[in-house]
Amino acid sequence: MAAAVSPTSLESAPRIMRLVAECSRSRARAGELRLPHGPVATPVFMPVGTQATMKGITAEQLDALGCRICLGNTYHLGLRPGPELIQKAHGLHGFMNWPHNLLTDSGGFQMVSLVSLSEVTEEGVRFRSPYDGDETLLSPEKSVEIQNALGSDIIMQLDDVVSSTVTGPRVEEAMYRSIRWLDRCIAAHQRPDKQNLFAIIQGGLDADLRTTCLEEMTKRDVPGFAIGGLSGGESKGQFWRMVALSTSRLPKDKPRYLMGVGYATDLVVCVALGCDMFDCVFPTRTARFGSALVPTGNLQLKKKQYEKDFRPIDNDCACPTCQKHSRAFLHALLHSDNTAALHHLTVHNIAYQLQLMSAVRASIVEKRFPDFVRDFMGTMYGDPTLCPTWATEALASVGITLS
Amino acid sequence: SGGFQMVSLVSLSEVTEEGVRFRSPYDGDETLLSPEKSVEIQNALGSDIIMQLDDVVSSTVTGPRVEEAMYRSIRWLDRCIAAHQRPDKQNLFAIIQGGLDADLRTTCLEEMTKRDVPGFAIGGLSGGESKGQFWRMVALSTSRLPKDKPRYLMGVGYATDLVVCVALGCDMFDCVFPTRTARFGSALVPTGNLQLKKKQYEKDFRPIDNDCACPTCQKHSRAFLHALLHSDNTAALHHLTVHNIAYQLQLMSAVRASIVEKRFPDFVRDFMGTMYGDPTLCPTWATEALASVGITL
Repeated sequence: MAAAVSPTSLESAPRIMRLVAECSRSRARAGELRLPHGPVATPVFMPVGTQATMKGITAEQLDALGCRICLGNTYHLGLRPGPELIQKAHGLHGFMNWPHNLLTDSGGFQMVSLVSLSEVTEEGVRFRSPYDGDETLLSPEKSVEIQNALGSDIIMQLDDVVSSTVTGPRVEEAMYRSIRWLDRCIAAHQRPDKQNLFAIIQGGLDADLRTTCLEEMTKRDVPGFAIGGLSGGESKGQFWRMVALSTSRLPKDKPRYLMGVGYATDLVVCVALGCDMFDCVFPTRTARFGSALVPTGNLQLKKKQYEKDFRPIDNDCACPTCQKHSRAFLHALLHSDNTAALHHLTVHNIAYQLQLMSAVRASIVEKRFPDFVRDFMGTMYGDPTLCPTWATEALASVGITLS
Repeated sequence: SGGFQMVSLVSLSEVTEEGVRFRSPYDGDETLLSPEKSVEIQNALGSDIIMQLDDVVSSTVTGPRVEEAMYRSIRWLDRCIAAHQRPDKQNLFAIIQGGLDADLRTTCLEEMTKRDVPGFAIGGLSGGESKGQFWRMVALSTSRLPKDKPRYLMGVGYATDLVVCVALGCDMFDCVFPTRTARFGSALVPTGNLQLKKKQYEKDFRPIDNDCACPTCQKHSRAFLHALLHSDNTAALHHLTVHNIAYQLQLMSAVRASIVEKRFPDFVRDFMGTMYGDPTLCPTWATEALASVGITL
């Protein structure tokens, strides 16, 4: 076998991903995840089913849009009501009445974001609850215990996350600690047959640190890897280089979950770089501002120009909003029953993301992904050559040219 | 008609014999919403039932303004009828005014029922008036409205009010209450309401209402909705809004079935018993109103 760019995994590691097709130019792959609550086609965008910063879409609507994996909220549906409660409700699936797959985060990120008094030590993340003043320690063991109780199909290690804008020794400290916490999560995991624990690659924007993290974490026996610590405030140039570095060192036969991505362009580029799974609040958050996602960018539907525009948001979109409602109606609704309007837009924006991923996947399977990318960029930017520099460079690095 | 909302939403509005004159807060333009204009707009909208433009005064207003508004509403009704371009496709309803004054309301009823309209609304109530005055005006109105035309009681309401006003002879109702109360995390049930944000629902795995057929009750528990109210609030309010609307619709279906099956008085007694713990604990105004039409609790 020729020297592979990516290492192969330990023989004993579980294989939850089946590769269906690979792009012969770029690193793009189409695959299928075999998860306890059913198969999931990749590349996949995972909406957030319920989350404090996301609004509006119900589990029923996600199901109707064809979503087969979404993110469950460890903090609000797990930590706060308590894992005993969730177990009583037959796990997070039972509690939410969601029949498909769930991915839960460790709870750490939200705690650090939402709780002002939090402190990271080797033990874990110590914080004071804003609700009752109690001090809690979220350790790797505790996080896994909670996620075991939630019963989600994919669970995430507790990692020591630092913002991508942080420099200095803290980045290195967090990277090494994340490796140690990964080992503690693996040791604490009570249900490896039913729940897939993913590692999260850290190392910030430092190529050496990230490489070290990749080398170490890929020695561990986990079913999948997330690329973490990005999609913060870093430049897009640094962003894509860290993604590309990560995918070049992750095993081919395991899924790569790029956390916190994203915008349509970012999704397409990062599929080209070899990522399989994505999540982001962007589509739902932008809906809240009256913005509808379309292949040419977005429509700010509150604007007067849509007042008499009787076309659907997108003629080719199969979502309920586009099937039933015009831009003019949504415009009027945005100025009267705003909540209902935002609901329609949220449904559409999620559908947009899911349909984009389906189209990407089909192009990979049908061996025309580079052409798809060129068409996509042409539609989005008016001309492929007007694509942002970082994206052009990233695509070129994996053999896709735009002109 | 557009009149009520304009008066509510637009601070600079002025009622004259011509119509409601107001200054748009968006572009400063002055517009006159006249009876003719209101009907023209509703003709364009194509709705199945359209409402006359009426001169509405709050039920807490007293004095000559009430009488002026009542007589003007009759004149505006005639102008609406004359302006209506699509009587074959759209049903124009009159709106009985007269405030809480029995004489004025009676006059309005006498006059408006002389006009050839397909239905009548009872207006000018469901404001700040006492419930005692409210039911008496409703009863007065239904006693003077033709039996063979629908009676639409505007702005009602709470479940108890719906049941009582059906007993008093009303057929159609509208109210923001179920959707508004959902926005505060309140779910309507036969015993009143559940404030689902409260800690007592944290581990309550029952649906909002075991007998409710709505999607929310079919799929989700109180515990889940409680957690959702504290995290993805908008999705939670959506579920509650669906349930509360379903509650109102199912209530009306149950009321109707009891009338058809000739057991409406028993239905009312059961309803009040469930809502208040005991039929005798029903609010006084409701007990009196029901007694006035022969239903004792």
